[in-house]
Formats: sequence, structure tokens, C-alpha cells
Amino acid sequence: KVKLTSSEGTEFIIDRKVAEKSVLLKNMLEDVGESDMAIPLPNVTGPILNKVIDYCTHHQDDPFVSQEDDSKKVSDDIDDWDAEFCKVDQGTLFELILSANYLDIKPLLDLTCKTVANMIKGKTPDEIRKTFNIINDFTPEEEEHVRKENEWCEER
Amino acid sequence: MPWGNYYIDSTEKGFRKNRRETSLGAFAYLTDEIILEIFGYLNVKELLTLCFTSQVLYCFASFEELWKQLTIRRFNGDWWWYGTWKLTYLKRSDPKYDADSFIKPAVNITHFYSDVLFQPFLYSSTEIDQFLGTETIDRRSNLSMDEFNSNYAAKNRPVIITDVVTQWPAFQKWSMKYLVEKYGDVSFRAEAIDIKLKNYVQYSTNTLDESPLYLFDKKFGEKCNGILEDFFVPEYFCQDFFNILGQDRPDFRYYPNSTSAWNAVIKGSKKWIMYPPDTLPPGVFTSAEGICRAGEMIFVPNGWWHTVINLEDSIAITQNFIGLHNLSNVLKFLREKPEQISGFSSDSWPSCKIIHETFCKTLQKVYPGLLEKLEPNNDSYKDNKSSIWEQIKKSDDAEKGFTFNFSNDE
Repeated sequence: KVKLTSSEGTEFIIDRKVAEKSVLLKNMLEDVGESDMAIPLPNVTGPILNKVIDYCTHHQDDPFVSQEDDSKKVSDDIDDWDAEFCKVDQGTLFELILSANYLDIKPLLDLTCKTVANMIKGKTPDEIRKTFNIINDFTPEEEEHVRKENEWCEER
Repeated sequence: MPWGNYYIDSTEKGFRKNRRETSLGAFAYLTDEIILEIFGYLNVKELLTLCFTSQVLYCFASFEELWKQLTIRRFNGDWWWYGTWKLTYLKRSDPKYDADSFIKPAVNITHFYSDVLFQPFLYSSTEIDQFLGTETIDRRSNLSMDEFNSNYAAKNRPVIITDVVTQWPAFQKWSMKYLVEKYGDVSFRAEAIDIKLKNYVQYSTNTLDESPLYLFDKKFGEKCNGILEDFFVPEYFCQDFFNILGQDRPDFRYYPNSTSAWNAVIKGSKKWIMYPPDTLPPGVFTSAEGICRAGEMIFVPNGWWHTVINLEDSIAITQNFIGLHNLSNVLKFLREKPEQISGFSSDSWPSCKIIHETFCKTLQKVYPGLLEKLEPNNDSYKDNKSSIWEQIKKSDDAEKGFTFNFSNDE
């Protein structure tokens, strides 16, 4: 068993196998050895840590995938459980990305990045701005230039 | 601009807030690396759509590495360079696209800071002259065979030889222009792509990539009619014990299988930084370094850690070999690390495990007594009944298969 504390001090006790889905924790546990001390995770809040543990528990038996090659990255290969897992508000999703990055859980980082990519796909610039709260800060001249430079034509 | 500029700018009167939060919206919450990771899942249409949303997203969605991947994935090496990967892609996919009028950036952006987006520019524009002063590798001419063997080969020390390449026909004949005229339509390997020489040279002379695609083709001898007549292997490197395997010898690739190598520069120059085999590269201090200039060739002893920087557009030839000095190293490597052996054709060698045994038996036949001298305790070659042995042709004039590379400054 491994003890973790979230940023607000909430304690979580999980199986070592689940904890080791995180490369950060795995390395830490290997370095420190067996210990009753809780590992502090000041960058991760309780609710997010809870979600991360859910993910790691569900995927605890997955084989460890090493760095994938540079072949085409696809974002439409998300299975049902993972898709359901990612049905959270945008703030939570972004928190999950940062936590997956910090804890070094590659499959969770990939899943959450793909989910955000899918939120961009199929939208107009206006819809993208609305979805992510982006302010259009082009000058009119720039906008014209950018339009010419980046005009989509179907052959592409 | 890099983040460092933020500290200076932020002290100015009337400093507007850093652009990140407004222009990136929710994405400002993520790191720049993660934003690019997400955009890596997008296709061309989606990236172009992002370019319209805001100034900062325009910068992210135009990031060269994203467009390099898209270009290579869709067109392999079949494109003509237009100054940036993005313009190269757009022009290649639509010949009517007016790439020339978009060389100048579309937006003039202030108060935006990103080390990740700035870094490629920094790397490709940093002058490296200040790091080139040290030359600790011996530079020799008129080197006798005995002296080469005793001072360098036997001691496994590198040396730059200055009077061999200058005698090659290639040294007079070869230039980018000459090679493009003669072999411009031949496709070569450049990392993950195959690209025609004329397209590559046009790319390499004009690119601002921090780490440009590097042309390095081990099959150049077969691809370019007559090119092997433009140079010869000097006496120092002529002995190659892999030749006894005849047609079944491994590729002359870059230092596989614990061999030694030579690298000859015909045009340009290459900076070599090396560490001997028994050290872990410490990072900051160098053990041996020097510049191999046009007309010179460097002897790279087996097992030396090394990094090579092309200081300018360079044309070079390289080959690896086993001389007497490193024969026992190679035998040890073949025996102890069969899983790391490379360059052997799988047609002739169904399993890497038999390579050591076969090589030893062949050596025994061609150079009787040599193995006993080198490895008195190894007797794996003494069993002569294997049928594989019969298949090995006892030919010493192995096919030529040098490696040849073009590269531009990095």
C-alpha cells in the first residue's frame, strides 16, 4: 500500500501497483523503498487525485507502453470507459492534463490531450474562441493577411 | 520572444499584461509543450482554422515541427522547399498557392513570451565559433603505415590525416553543384524520408531548421554510377577482416558491431568531439576534439563516444572496418552481444547467434593461427563441421558499400 496526500492534505491509500502507473511515483518508491510516510503531491488537488486514481485503478493491468513512434497520431481511438471518464468540465479536464503530466502517466496524458484535440475538431474559429474563451486580438490588416495565407482549399 | 524578455519588458511604463491569458484563453492554463502535443493530433484544415482564432494561437498552430511532421507523413521527400515547412506543405498541396508573398510573417506580436516557440530559432541562429577553439586531435601528414599502427591503431587513438583526401579525384570534382548536375534526380535517404538530391540541396542550403534533415545513405555507391571511382581507401584502412565473409559481410554502416571507422570531408568541415570508450561522457569537458576540414579524414577508433557538428554545408564519405588493432574487440562484441549486431543481411544470416561462430571459422581458414594468438582460450571456431561454413564464399574483394553523407550546418 502507498499513502499519498493531495494539495489540501487529504490522505489517499492505494495499492502500490496502482501508484506505479505514475512513473514519477514508481521511481520515487524505488528510490525510497517501503515506508509509512505519505508522499505529498502539492500540485494535485483531492478531487483531481481521486479521478487520477480511478483511471490508474481501471487501467492497472494494462501493459506498459514505451514511447510510441512518430507515426500518425490519431485521436479517434478512445474506448467507451475512457470517453466516459473524460466527460468532465473543461477546468477539470485541463487539471487532469497537468496532473498526468506532473505524475508522468503517459496514457492518461495522451487520453486527455486527444479529448481536447477532439474539442477543436470540426469547429469554426468563432466556435473555438467561444469554447476556450479566446480573445480575437488581430488587427484588421493582420486578419486579412492571415485569411489569405491560411485559406483552406479542398485539395489540401 | 523568450521569457527572459518578460522581466525587462515588465519594468517598462504602461506594460500591458502578458498576452498569454487573453490570446490563449483556457490554453494559457497548460504548458507550451502540452499545447503543441494537443495540436499534434490535428490535421491541416484544423491547424489552419486555429490560425484564424488569435495572434498567439496563430504562432502555435504555425509551429514548424507540426508542419514538418504533416509534410513528411503526406509527401515523404517529394516536395520543394519554400522557406518554412508550413509554406512548403501549402505550396506542395496546392500549386496555385502564392507562397512567396507569405514569407514575411502575417502578424506582429508583442508581449508574448515562449521559450518553447523561441528555442528552434535560438538554436539555428546561435553562432558556435566561440566553442571551436580547442583542437586536441593529432593532425598528421606523411604518416607511415608503421607509425599509424603503433601510435594510433594499436593505442586506439583518433587522428586526422591531412594528405589523403586531397589526392582523390573527388576532392577536385565534387561540389554541391557538380553532384546535383550528375545525380540530382537520384533519391537518397535523409532520416525518415527519401528525397531527390536536387530537392535536398535546395532545402539544406535554405532551411532555418534547428536540426535539419540529414542526408546519409549507405547505398550511395550502388545508386550513383561511377561515383566509387572518385576515391580510394588509403593503406591505413585497407585491412578489413569483415571482407572474408565476402558477399555476406555486413553493411559498412556507421560504427556498428564495435568496428573502427574513417570519415573523410570533401567539402565543408566537421567538428568532432570525442570521449574514449571507457569513460561516461561527462557533459562539459571534452577529451578529444578537432575540426576535420575539406581534404582531411579522421580515424575514429572503435568504441569512442562522439558527436559531430557540421560547421557548414559538407560532403563526406565514411566507412567502418576491422583492422588487426580492433579484431579482438569485434570478436568479443559478436560473441557477447549478438542481440546488438547490425548491418548483416537477414537472407544470409537467419540468426545473429551464428555470426560469431561463422566469422571465427572463416578467420581460421583464411588466416590460420591468428585466432589462437588473439584469443587463446576461445575454441568455438575449432569445430569445422558446420554446413554454414560451406556457404561462405572465400572472396576478399567484397562489394563496395560505403556510406556517404551530405549535411548542412546544424
